[in-house]
Amino acid sequence: MSGPALLFEHASYAYQGAALESLSDIELSVAEGEWIGVTGPTNAGKSTLCLLGMGLAPHFFGGRLKGRVTVFGRDSLAVGVVERSAEVGMLFQNPFTQVSGARDRVDEEVAFGPECHGIGRMEVAERVAEALALVGLEGLAARHPSDLSGGQLQRLALAGLLAMRPRLLLLDEPTSQLDPAGTAAIFDVLASLHGRGVTIVMVEHRLERLSENCRRVIAMVSGRLLADGPPEEVFNRLSVIERVGEPVYTGLARDAGLPQPWPVTLAGAVVAFGTRRA
Amino acid sequence: MAGGLSLYAEGESLLHRAHPLTKGALTVSAVALAFILPSWTWVLGLAFLLLALIVAAGVLRRLAAVAVVILGPITLLLLAVQGFANPANHTVAFALGPVVYYREGLAVAALAALRIGCLVGATFLFSFTTKPADITEALLQRGLSPRMGYVLLSALQIIPQTLEMATRIQDAQRARGLETEGSLLRRARAYMPLMLPLVLSSLVATEERAMALEVRGFGLAVARVSRIDFKDGLFQRTLRWGLLLLVPVAIVLRLARRW
Amino acid sequence: MRAVRFAYPGAGDIYPEPGISLTLSSGVTALVGENGAGKTTLTKLLNGLLRPASGSVIVAGQEVADASVAKMARLVGYAFQNPDDQLFERTVAAEVAFGPRVLGRPPEQRATDVARAMQLCGLAGREHVHPHDLGLAERKWVAIASALATDAPVLVLDEPTLGQDFASRHRLRTLVERLAAEDRLVLVVTHDMDFVGEACPTTVVLTHGTVRHAGPTDVGFKRPEMIREAGLEPPHVTSLARELGLPPTVSAEGFLAEL
Repeated sequence: MSGPALLFEHASYAYQGAALESLSDIELSVAEGEWIGVTGPTNAGKSTLCLLGMGLAPHFFGGRLKGRVTVFGRDSLAVGVVERSAEVGMLFQNPFTQVSGARDRVDEEVAFGPECHGIGRMEVAERVAEALALVGLEGLAARHPSDLSGGQLQRLALAGLLAMRPRLLLLDEPTSQLDPAGTAAIFDVLASLHGRGVTIVMVEHRLERLSENCRRVIAMVSGRLLADGPPEEVFNRLSVIERVGEPVYTGLARDAGLPQPWPVTLAGAVVAFGTRRA
Repeated sequence: MAGGLSLYAEGESLLHRAHPLTKGALTVSAVALAFILPSWTWVLGLAFLLLALIVAAGVLRRLAAVAVVILGPITLLLLAVQGFANPANHTVAFALGPVVYYREGLAVAALAALRIGCLVGATFLFSFTTKPADITEALLQRGLSPRMGYVLLSALQIIPQTLEMATRIQDAQRARGLETEGSLLRRARAYMPLMLPLVLSSLVATEERAMALEVRGFGLAVARVSRIDFKDGLFQRTLRWGLLLLVPVAIVLRLARRW
Repeated sequence: MRAVRFAYPGAGDIYPEPGISLTLSSGVTALVGENGAGKTTLTKLLNGLLRPASGSVIVAGQEVADASVAKMARLVGYAFQNPDDQLFERTVAAEVAFGPRVLGRPPEQRATDVARAMQLCGLAGREHVHPHDLGLAERKWVAIASALATDAPVLVLDEPTLGQDFASRHRLRTLVERLAAEDRLVLVVTHDMDFVGEACPTTVVLTHGTVRHAGPTDVGFKRPEMIREAGLEPPHVTSLARELGLPPTVSAEGFLAEL
C-alpha cells in the first residue's frame, strides 16, 4: 500500500493579489480509497482545497503556496494540471461550462479527454463505453450535448473525467445547481466509484447526504481546519454546529433534549428517537 | 436549443463522402475561377457544373432557398446600379419616361450576378455536405494546431449559447424595470445593463471552460491520434492539386492572352 | 389568477386544458415540482415576460395583459436563479440601487430602501465591493437585495437556496418571514424541501403543468403518492416522523410538538 493519495503539509495559499490567505496551515492526509466530505461556510477555503489538489492553484491562478501539497507522492509545484489529469479529475459546480463545446455527440464528448492523452482509438472506445455505463448515460450516447439537462450534463462531465480512469476525484459542490433527481443520480455514481476504490474528496453543503455517504468529514472555517473525523463525531461538536451547521437530524435530537452523541443520519435518528420513546 | 451552428445536411452522396480537403479545394478553386474566368460562356459553364454537383448532393432545395435570400437583393441592386449608371452605357434597353435603362449595364450586372452566384453556390455546397468536425479533423491531421482547431469548433456551440444568454439577460433586466424598447435614448440607457452582464458572464464562463479543459488534459504534448479515417486515395489527392492548380493557370492565361 | 392557459411555441402546451386556476395571497408560498413542470412559466406569467394564450393573470389588482414588463416590475420583484444574468454595476450598493433607480424612486427613499435590503441580505458593510469579487452564493444575495429594494408587494425568488451554506439558509428563512409579516407575497421556487417545510406555510405543487396541490404545506406532505408522482422528496423531518410512526410534520417545531 503506497502513501496517501492527497497530502497537505502546513499548506497555506493566497490568490494572486489577495491580501489574505485563503488557506492557512492545512495539515491533511487522505488515504487512497477514502470518500471525504468537506464542508464549511462560504469562503472557508473548500474550493481552494480542491483547486490545490488539482494543481489549478497555483499553476492556473498564480498565487503564493507555502508548505507542501503532494498528490500520489508527487509535489504539486513540480507537476502541471494537464500532466496530472491522467490521475486526478475535478468536477465543478456549473454543468454547462464543463462541456468542451467541440463535439457533437455525447460519446465523442466523453472521448475528448482520452484523445488529449493520445490514447489509441480502440482503447478510447472501451473507456467511453465504460464511463457512460458508470454514469448511466449509455442511452444518450448519440445525442448532441446541448440537448441535455443540467443533471445529465453534470453526469456527462463526470463521465468525461472517468474516461481517464482517475485515482482521485475532487468534486466542488457538484450537485449544488441540480434538482433532487440529478443529485441522487450523481451520488449513486459516486457510491459505485467508491466501491471501486476511487479516492473521492467532495465539497458539499447537504450535510445529511454527506453524513450518510462519507466515513470522514472535514469542517473548514476561514481557511483553517475546524474538525476532521467521522461525521458522528464532527457534528456533535458545538463549535462545528455553530459555525458550520448540522444535519437536520442532529438539530432535532438536540432540541428534543436527547443525550449525546446526537444522530447524523436518518437511521441513527430512528434509533435515537425510538429508544427515547420506548 | 439547436445542436450548435451548422449548415450540414445529412446525406450519402459522392460529395458527402469525399475527403473534406478535396471539397475545400473544389470550393476555393470554384470561387477563384468564378471571378477569374473572362466571359459569359466560361462562367456559365462553371455555374452549370456547380449546379450538377448541387443536384447530385441532394441539396438543391436548400440551396435555392439560400440563393433567393442572398442573391436576390444583390442581383436587384446590381441590375439597378449598372443598368442606370454604368458610364459605358449607350444602347437603350427600355425607357420609362425620363428614366432610361441600358443594355451594357444589364450585361455587366448579369455577369457579375452570375459570378456571385457561383461563389454562393460553391461555398454553400461545401457547408451543406461537410460536417465542421470533419473539416477540423482533416486540418488537424495535416498539422493545424489543436488550440486553433478547438477554437473553430467550439465557436459553433458557444455562439448559440451566448445568444441564449443574451436573451436571459434581457429578460432578467426587463423584470427589474429596464425599458429596452422605444426611443433611441431609452435603448442607449439599456446598453450597459444588457451588454455588461453578457461580457462578464462570458468572461467567467471562459475561465471555467479553460479550467475544465486543462483538467481533461487539453494541451498535453503527445502525438495526435486521428479520430476519423477519411477515405482518401491517389485520385482525390490528384484531384485536389489539379483543382487548386487551375487557379494560377487561369490567372496566367487571362493575363497573357488578355482572354 | 383566474384560469390561465399558456401554450409555449414549439414545446406543446405547458398547461393543458382547462389551464391553471390559482389564487395566491400574501405570505410565503413555495412553488415546487420537477424541472419542466411549469414553475418558471408561472413566475414569468406574473411579471409579463410570458403572456397567457387565454385566461387572465391579475397581480395586486393589475391585469398583467394591460401592463408592460417594466410596469409590472413595480409590483413584482424578481431575483433570477443565475445572478450573473443581472449583475453589471461596479459596486454592490449601485447594483442594489438599480431597481429603485430605474423605477424612479426619489434618492432619499432609494438610500433607505437600499440600506435596508442590504442589511436583510447580510451585505451590510460591503457597499463598495465589486460584485464579481464575491463568490456565486454571495452574488445571489446581491440579486435578492436588488429585488428587495424595489419594495414591491410581490417578490419571486428563483432557487434562492442553491449553493448556500447553513447560515445563509437561516438568513433566508428570517428574510421571508419578515416579508410575510409585512403582508407581502413571497413566492419561492425551490427544490429544497427542508426550507419549504420550515419557512413556507403554503405550497403549490406542479406536475406536468397541472396544480396538484395549492394550500397548507403540512397538508400537502400528508399525501405521499402525490409527492412521489411530483418527483419530490419529503423534508428530512417528515421522513423521520414517518419512520417513527408519528404524524408527518414538516417542520422541526411541529415534530418536537408531536413527540
